[in-house]
Amino acid sequence: MNKPKNVFIQGPISPGFIADSIAKHQTKTSIGAHNIFLGQVRADTIQDKTVRSIIYSAYEEMANKAFHAIRERIFAQYAITCMHIYHSLGHVKAGEICLFVFVSAPHRKVVLEALEALVEAIKAEVPVFGKELFDNETHQWKVNQ
Amino acid sequence: MNHELHIKYFGQIAEITGKSFEIISVDAISIAQLVNHLTEFYPGLRDQEFKVAVDHQIKDRASQITQDAEIALLPPFAGG
Repeated sequence: MNKPKNVFIQGPISPGFIADSIAKHQTKTSIGAHNIFLGQVRADTIQDKTVRSIIYSAYEEMANKAFHAIRERIFAQYAITCMHIYHSLGHVKAGEICLFVFVSAPHRKVVLEALEALVEAIKAEVPVFGKELFDNETHQWKVNQ
Repeated sequence: MNHELHIKYFGQIAEITGKSFEIISVDAISIAQLVNHLTEFYPGLRDQEFKVAVDHQIKDRASQITQDAEIALLPPFAGG
């Protein structure tokens, strides 16, 4: 069993980090298919107020354990070669990336299924909280649909 | 028997309690009893949806709390 890794990154996940992560897989030539999910902060408008950014917080010890349990479960269910998960903490502006999930396998079918299961599990099972800041200095708490 | 409980609050729950952490001493109780106890201190919790984790595991309200457990009140998750 692997030990729980730290999934969290302070602030937004940069497109350059994502590109580097793809590049690192070019030496793993048994892989024939990657699938990537990127969560981006949406500028929702609610009663004339627009979301400018989200401040993410988490119950980090429990969240890292939950990410670990999800990882183990997805590896047991799907024949994937590797999996990477990164989630932002702190301030992420509208339009910036807050979640980066990356799965790879020899063939396409399994990565399509595994990625969906993985993203749904992250949304449902990991104690991460999002404070949505509006343009008029007020805020509300984000709830996953 | 008196238990010392370490309680963590997150998100909108921490806004209501005005703190992210506290230690309380209570008699041996279930989660439901603890929630009632906390709701007396923090009436705003009454209107809030939250789950309770004991030592990083979400437990139902009927579960008993063990000594020196770390409790967390978790509002709806918003990851991703």
